[in-house]
Amino acid sequence: MAVATLETATKELNQQIGLPTDGSQYLTFQLGDELYGVDILRVQEIKGYTTVTKIPNTPPHIKGVLNLRGTIVPIVELRTKFGMPTIDYTMFTVIVVVVVRDRIMGLVVDSVSDVLNINKKDIQAPPEFGAKVDVSVLIGIGKSGDKLVALLNIDRLLTEDEQQQESAVANA
Amino acid sequence: MSNDFSQFQDAFFEEAAEHLAVVEEGLLALEQHPEDLDLLNKIFRSAHSIKGTSGMFGFNAVAQFTHKMETLLDLLRNGQKAVTPVIADLLLRSTDCLKTLIDAAKTGSSVDDVTVQRLTEELAASQNASGSQSMPQGNGPSKIKPASAGPELYSYAIAWAPPDWLFQRGLDPQQIFKELADIGTLSQVTVDATKLPELATMDPEKCYLSWRMKFETAKDRQVVDAVFEFVREDSVLTITEEVQGKELEVRGEESPSFVTPDGTESKPKPLGELLVESGVVSRETLNKALSQQKRVGEILVEQHAATPQQISQALQKQQDNAAHAKKGTETASIRVDTDKIDKLINLVGELVITQSMLSDLGSRFEINQLPVLLERMAQLEGNTREIQERVMSIRMLPIGTAFSRFPRLIRDLSANAGKKIQLVLSGEETELDKTVIESIGDPLTHLVRNSADHGLEPPDERLDNNKPELGTIRLNAFHEGGNICITVEDDGRGLNRDKILAKAVKQGLIAENEKLSDDQIWPLIFKPGFSTAEKVTDVSGRGVGMDVVKRNIEGLGGTVKIKTALGKGTVFTLKLPLTLAITEGMTVRVGTETYIVPLLSILESIQPKAGAMKTVVGKGELINVRETYLPMIRMYEVFALQPEYTDPTKAILLILETEGERVAVMVDEILGQQQVVIKSMEKNFRKVDGIAGATILGDGTVGFILDIRGLLEIARRGVAA
Repeated sequence: MAVATLETATKELNQQIGLPTDGSQYLTFQLGDELYGVDILRVQEIKGYTTVTKIPNTPPHIKGVLNLRGTIVPIVELRTKFGMPTIDYTMFTVIVVVVVRDRIMGLVVDSVSDVLNINKKDIQAPPEFGAKVDVSVLIGIGKSGDKLVALLNIDRLLTEDEQQQESAVANA
Repeated sequence: MSNDFSQFQDAFFEEAAEHLAVVEEGLLALEQHPEDLDLLNKIFRSAHSIKGTSGMFGFNAVAQFTHKMETLLDLLRNGQKAVTPVIADLLLRSTDCLKTLIDAAKTGSSVDDVTVQRLTEELAASQNASGSQSMPQGNGPSKIKPASAGPELYSYAIAWAPPDWLFQRGLDPQQIFKELADIGTLSQVTVDATKLPELATMDPEKCYLSWRMKFETAKDRQVVDAVFEFVREDSVLTITEEVQGKELEVRGEESPSFVTPDGTESKPKPLGELLVESGVVSRETLNKALSQQKRVGEILVEQHAATPQQISQALQKQQDNAAHAKKGTETASIRVDTDKIDKLINLVGELVITQSMLSDLGSRFEINQLPVLLERMAQLEGNTREIQERVMSIRMLPIGTAFSRFPRLIRDLSANAGKKIQLVLSGEETELDKTVIESIGDPLTHLVRNSADHGLEPPDERLDNNKPELGTIRLNAFHEGGNICITVEDDGRGLNRDKILAKAVKQGLIAENEKLSDDQIWPLIFKPGFSTAEKVTDVSGRGVGMDVVKRNIEGLGGTVKIKTALGKGTVFTLKLPLTLAITEGMTVRVGTETYIVPLLSILESIQPKAGAMKTVVGKGELINVRETYLPMIRMYEVFALQPEYTDPTKAILLILETEGERVAVMVDEILGQQQVVIKSMEKNFRKVDGIAGATILGDGTVGFILDIRGLLEIARRGVAA
């Protein structure tokens, strides 16, 4: 009994000071009421939203490109990508800069929430919704306390996207 | 070659290339000034460096070949042999051969063994000839075996007592045996350990052993000698040739000198040469015999020493290794003057000072200090700009490095074509971006060859036309605005208007009675497959080349212009951006978006009058620009933007040219002209149609540089859809 309490205490402490336990760490962010997470090791930085330059003839979820200290970084609007309605940007709107296969990309999200440790055993496979929802961009559903986090497979999310665009351009 | 030097090998190849350039340049100059001893010494030093370093890296073929060259150079240096055109030519050809050997070591490509062999023999022969000049040719201890036809295995009895310092210099007798085994068959190897002292008194760093062995090889005597090249000094080495059981002593020597104390020449000529000289066989028979020399693999198969499968496996392995070696050598590096770096460090120092002054000011800023702040900001701006320029200049190399190949090219071309040509270079110190230099080499070579072959007339024709017999090709480089201009000028016959027109009509490029101005005619020679040369030579006339020149130069964002006068000559002017990373652009606005149009493609900008627009088939819009109708593209349609003006008479039309096509592009406003640093879109995203790249604008946002060709294509797709 006492041992169990100690274990939980250590774990909680670890979580508080951000030390990884046996799971991985995820940066979570908000899109509407939903919580999403990306592997923290893939996140390069988080920056406030600044105006981007629109790229002509690209799908609507490609917001444009941004000058990130001299590097040209494409920005993806996640709401549009997921087919959610767009909202006005607030002071909480941020760009999460992630690294996808040696490329740097930015994701526009409503707000960042937290860094969570999620144990492997707390991650369940993405449920099937059929054609209604594309779950291929999810690694799984993570549980942390009473929160539910949709863990994103950003490699899939952003590169698949690119292929689609390319074929779209080819078909045009 | 599994040594730990691989990381230094790139440096070696780079250095070798530089030394080779020195040797070649020196040799060309030496032809003109055969008595220049300084020049000879310079060549010798470079050759020596190549020999030394290549030996160190284990490129023995390179080292051995360079050694042969060096021996001849040494004779020239000592005055034992005069620099004759024949010798200079031989040395130049040897330099070429050395180049291929080094390339082979670098990339693992195959080497033409026959050429190497022949040149080695020629080098040796020329050395011997020099010996006979300064001293009477003695019989020497060499004897000749009777002539016999066909490929032949020589067998040697070798006795070798290495010097006792062998191990101290890092040499390994095993290596020698390995090399021998590579070129032939070793048998009856016996070691003589009699000199080996008691273990207690033995110095482990000394070599006490000597060997005797029988050696069979299809290779020439010199190849066998070459194996012992690096250990010969102080060695007691006897190589005796055995033929049909009868021993013929060829040579015994204790030092690398090839003149024995009694003054007779003892270095043997290649057997074949001697046979030809003594009239036993004719030159043709010898060459035939030499050409029948087989590869090691074939011989081994014939002797049943190995199966064809084993040989092909080994060859496959060799190729794999070569392919593997190729991969590792792709790194590019650049040599920078320390001077440039020192200046940069000074500037960074200044930048740090400015920065600290600014942060000091910022920490206790009051509004009355505004003038000071502005002054410091200006200082910072100056620092930044200068640092930018200096950093760019690190990538800058003098164009002389691209020019340096031409003296040799002209020399060979004039010899081949029987023309007398002098090459005048100027502006070699003009600096431009390394990548640009690397990419203009081939186009320039094409142009120079073209001038030499088509442009300049044969000597008699020149004399008939009251021109000096000696034709001149002038290469000049200079800065002009933000560009660099390179001119290739010849004083030859000039472009023939009628011939070009006739050819163009024949090829269906233009209609028979079309009226064309000169400026429209000359660019016709850049069309693919266009050549007016009456006969095809190996240099030019096949009609490939000029179109490649134009494409390459345009690929670099440059232009080619032709100026010519019949009977007087032709000038090709290449205009190139100084660097590929920075381009001059015009910033234009469409709606709220800003785009950059490369300045090189802009011909003019106009605001059309109301009646100037016409449509074709109701859709295709044309604009009348001084009686020429050009297709018009509305930028906002192509990029789906909200423009300020949809009426062309209120907007601005940019007349752009791409690959010879003209097009009018409609934008809202021209904002200004500026230099922009090109950033890649592909690095983090992908290629976007109609956009050549991105850049950071003055306000820190991203602006796109337009790709005119892509723009045209989108517009056409749109019209077609």
